[in-house]
Amino acid sequence: MPREAEPSLNEKQFIVQALGEKLRLDGREFDQYRPLELTFGDQYGVANVTLGKTRVLAKVSAEVTVPYVDRPLDGVFTIATELGPMASPAFEVGRPTETEVLLARLLEKTVRRSGALDTESLCLVAGQKCWSVRVDVHVLAHDGNLIDASCFAVVAALRHFRKPDTSIASGQLTVYTPAEREPVPLSWLHSPFCVTWSFFGDDGETALLDATWAEEQVRVSSCTVSLNRHGEICQIAKLGGVPVEAVALLQCTAVALTKAKEFSTFLDGKLAEDAKRRNKGGFMAELSSENDR
Amino acid sequence: MPLDTSAYSLALLRVDGRRWNELRRIHAQIRTQAAADGSSYLEIGHTKVMCVVTGPSEPGSRRGAIGSTGGGVGGGAVGGGAAQSKGAEVAVSIVIAGFSSVDRKRTARGDKRILELQSTISNALAASLHTHLFPHSAINISLHVLSQDGSLLAALINAATLACVDAGIPMTDYVAACTAGSTSTYAANDEAADPLLDLNHQEEQELPGLTVATLGGSDRVAVLVCESRVQVSRLEGMLAVGVDGCKQVREILDRVVREKGRRMVQEGTVEKGVGLNDMDVD
Repeated sequence: MPREAEPSLNEKQFIVQALGEKLRLDGREFDQYRPLELTFGDQYGVANVTLGKTRVLAKVSAEVTVPYVDRPLDGVFTIATELGPMASPAFEVGRPTETEVLLARLLEKTVRRSGALDTESLCLVAGQKCWSVRVDVHVLAHDGNLIDASCFAVVAALRHFRKPDTSIASGQLTVYTPAEREPVPLSWLHSPFCVTWSFFGDDGETALLDATWAEEQVRVSSCTVSLNRHGEICQIAKLGGVPVEAVALLQCTAVALTKAKEFSTFLDGKLAEDAKRRNKGGFMAELSSENDR
Repeated sequence: MPLDTSAYSLALLRVDGRRWNELRRIHAQIRTQAAADGSSYLEIGHTKVMCVVTGPSEPGSRRGAIGSTGGGVGGGAVGGGAAQSKGAEVAVSIVIAGFSSVDRKRTARGDKRILELQSTISNALAASLHTHLFPHSAINISLHVLSQDGSLLAALINAATLACVDAGIPMTDYVAACTAGSTSTYAANDEAADPLLDLNHQEEQELPGLTVATLGGSDRVAVLVCESRVQVSRLEGMLAVGVDGCKQVREILDRVVREKGRRMVQEGTVEKGVGLNDMDVD
């Protein structure tokens, strides 16, 4: 199995010593994110997120399937992550690495288990037909902090997504094409965002937000907190690593909340911008036969 | 409804009759398997786990178990086998018995939840064990879950710690874990919610909770896992109660190890070491 080259001893010491002097390699503040960008595709439900050099694409698709036997009133909602060799030579197709498993688990806990999407609204005919919503997360470039970028991409794509409108008349289910009826957004309850802290130093006394890949390779432990803007924690994961003072973790959570609120406002702004771009000026403008020529 | 929260506020007693700050009975044994390098058996209430440690030994083929390298390479490293690392690799494998919970269900082999548990335990212990003393070697920890009644991750961490102590692997301190929760569900935003210590299965289903593991008697948190929605203001109370519970658990684990050591000296299995002169053998 090919493996990512570990940074050399010099590189490691350089990063750690610089952090001791309150400096990061790229000159950011300790609690500053790299520039976050979000673009939506032409289709509904495609979100392309770049965070510095990290780039993640999320695509949402929906189809009508049979619900699970034990949950006849719920739709199906899955998040599939794919870390291919494009992101890093250490990732192989079809053999999930530890990073990929933990990423998938975190997204699942943050978005699915916290009930961000109302799965009951995906039910069409109880026990027979339901929507199956699937989010595919593709990591296109890996330069650290995959978790925050992927989570943001997933939430953005799901909120941007529109599923075809349906109607049921005398037991007959009709799925309308976008031309017949305007597609409808998913029933979305709250938007959770992941904020990952990385800890450095012998006792984990230095805490950084949005670590780059070089910093991630040197860190001694990390803690991911998922919050929504209402101040609800959806998930916390500090999975081992060097122990960190409990009080420091509480402070990290408080800062994470302000970051989650910033993400939320940013996403709302982008969604509104995209909606404005798509809306050509109402029904009358669509009916008009005039063109730019 | 498994847990009637209104009953709690009336009598301040939980479903199993405990108060908010009471642990369930913890029963632990070490050196349960004579053939293994280290072994332990731990019960927290009705949660029962066994642990067997082999190693530090020459690393074999490492398939199926998630490993993490020691020597300070924490969460960031991708893979990182023993060949490249400076420290021993801690490989954890968890087997959850089919009969362990009420409804018998087979767990899929690549279950992400179990992989996550394995990786958590491995990373938590790797930070406490002095893995740099055993370069190019592997410490294999295999955990068996015999019965589940809440606080599974906490029980697994405690059992693994005890087995590592039994195996005689040098470590900084015990990694002691327990769970904490909060009364009333996440939807209610009342400030009067009491924190609860050591959740059982019913409470885990119903209430928000988290698992904390601390290093020894300090306030330093090695593992913090929260999987339910909870108001951010509740976290402080839950974490405080959890860290306090970890200190109690550490005392219990320490007592188990000392008791076993005392008995082994009494039986003449081991020589009384020079450092043990102050130990009360009688």
